[in-house]
Amino acid sequence: MSTEPVSESESGSGPTATTGRFLDGVDGALVSLCLASVAVVVAGGLVQVSFGSYSMTVWQAWAAVFDPQVLFNLRAWEAFLFGAELPEMNQRSLIVWNIRLPRVFVAVVVGMNLAVSGAIFQAVTRNELASPFILGVSSGAGLLILLTLVVFSGLSALLPLVAALGGAAAFLVVYAIAWKNGTSPVRLVLAGVIVGTVFQSLQTGLFFFADDIGVVQSAIAWTTGSLTGTDWEQVRMALPWTVVAIGLSLLGARQLNVLLLGEQTARSLGMSVEKVRFALSGVAVLAAAASIAVAGIVGFVGLIVPHMVRNVVGSEYRKLIVGCLFAGPALMVAADVGARLGLELLFGASTQVPVGIVTGLVGGPYFLYLMRKQEALGEI
Amino acid sequence: MRENGQFERGEAESESGEASTEPSIDAVELQGEELEIGYPTTTEPVVECERVLLPAGEVTALVGPNGSGKSTLLKAMANQLAPESGAIRLDGQQVQSLDSKELARRLGLLSQEHDSPASLTVEELAYHGRYPHRGFFESVGDDDRRAVERAIELAGVEHLRGKSMANLSGGQKQLAWIAMVLAQETDVLLLDEPTTYLDLHHQLRVMEVVRKLNREDGVTVGIVLHDIGQAARFADNLIAMKDGAPYDWGPPREVVTEELLSDVFRVDASVDAESPTGPHIAPHRALDE
Repeated sequence: MSTEPVSESESGSGPTATTGRFLDGVDGALVSLCLASVAVVVAGGLVQVSFGSYSMTVWQAWAAVFDPQVLFNLRAWEAFLFGAELPEMNQRSLIVWNIRLPRVFVAVVVGMNLAVSGAIFQAVTRNELASPFILGVSSGAGLLILLTLVVFSGLSALLPLVAALGGAAAFLVVYAIAWKNGTSPVRLVLAGVIVGTVFQSLQTGLFFFADDIGVVQSAIAWTTGSLTGTDWEQVRMALPWTVVAIGLSLLGARQLNVLLLGEQTARSLGMSVEKVRFALSGVAVLAAAASIAVAGIVGFVGLIVPHMVRNVVGSEYRKLIVGCLFAGPALMVAADVGARLGLELLFGASTQVPVGIVTGLVGGPYFLYLMRKQEALGEI
Repeated sequence: MRENGQFERGEAESESGEASTEPSIDAVELQGEELEIGYPTTTEPVVECERVLLPAGEVTALVGPNGSGKSTLLKAMANQLAPESGAIRLDGQQVQSLDSKELARRLGLLSQEHDSPASLTVEELAYHGRYPHRGFFESVGDDDRRAVERAIELAGVEHLRGKSMANLSGGQKQLAWIAMVLAQETDVLLLDEPTTYLDLHHQLRVMEVVRKLNREDGVTVGIVLHDIGQAARFADNLIAMKDGAPYDWGPPREVVTEELLSDVFRVDASVDAESPTGPHIAPHRALDE
């Protein structure tokens, strides 16, 4: 940058003058948000690795996390990320790295996907109550999960894939219903409600055909979202799609910003609004589907995280999405600590609850707090 | 009174007021022919007009009562609304055939309804005006910076550039939006009632910016105005709309007559055509429908 004085008068929000240069886009609020989120993730992760049925002391567990033999072992990472043969390691490291930590990583991935997906849908539908599931994704996924578990039980090995596909298919149905010489945010949301209602009823109806309690519990775990039993396999499954979805959503941030100016303005600036809207929705559905495939339908994260972040960094979407990439995992990891260890702590029972229940329990009151505190909450 | 909907350009245009109308060489005209414009929900076309012309390098104001179709016509001219029949030509090229970004680089529209996120700053908004000039992967270049600086200066919002939209008054907001369309750097600029709801100071500010843009950069301007007095003062040409068709067209001193005010606006008024700042209108009372 050379000659002209680009907005020295302002402190925080000036940098978009030089959108595109990443370092200029960094602002204090965003950095603090990211750092705080990382701290929560690290703290939550350390808690998660410290407790479990295999007893070891907290220090032993933490030592295992930072075990250089694993941390700097290429073969170990190959095993984790590409499913290669696991190299020799001591038992504590094995427990920590192969059982407890992957669950934290899955939570991180799911949190990122849901938060980004929600943020995109809030802009695309121009609706502050939008979540990743507003366009029928959750109901489509839920219906297919139930169908698979109850009717086509032979397919249950493919359940993650089926669930993700169900979500994507429902999204397409919603779009088709909403389409009439183009769509509008309101038509999309209404179509989402219609499809959601029908699919939800079908899904609930299917519960009556489930003949054993195990199937019902498994169905509930999937439809409320659970991280129980996730390991590297899930990380491997979700990671590629996550990378693609996040890359595309960062690239699409400027389109989202222009969409926020209203459809008329976006169009008069030369945007092909319908194409952009469909493409961005597709990216958001991809992110949501990736999270459904590994964790089921975790509610509330995608609704609340974008609001939390917007509250701190404003509604500029590049900052918002970066913020969501950090805050989403923070909420998800923290909630999963509650889901995995909460009942044990409170009642001494070793049962785990689906993490979706905790995100609702934590997220709801926090949302309420934000709503009471911030008058402007909800304005996109 | 000329015949409804059909005009020939008179010689009168050369004497259109305070002179200085010297269209720069590359000024561009926007023209519509045989237009029938409607909405999907209406069976009858809302606007029918045989010929409408925004002459190159001049300011043309569309005036008319509520529901006379002036905004509809403007939207169609900006290719935001596809006409049922007829063609709109920008410098001889059909606008429908242009790629949307290509069109947005040459023709800007500031619509009546717009929305902005509360935390958006004036400067950020102005940068959005560069959207049609930037490719998908392109970052802000020197051209963009220069255009935005100039737009902010022209619109007179330097002192507001770091403020967020939520903290601006209605008039300041409008100037910020104008900075955005100015940053678009188009040959033709269409504005839909940019002064409605503004206080007098900001109305004049907006009109002065438009005037300056036209005079300095030779931008062809089409502007829908509610206030015919204001239109008469600032525009080189007026198009008076009535019931979806142009009623009269020409320089303000010819178009603004007592007869027009009673026929089109249903107002009893006297007009002082000799007033130095353009025809002066003194409205007396509303006529019965």
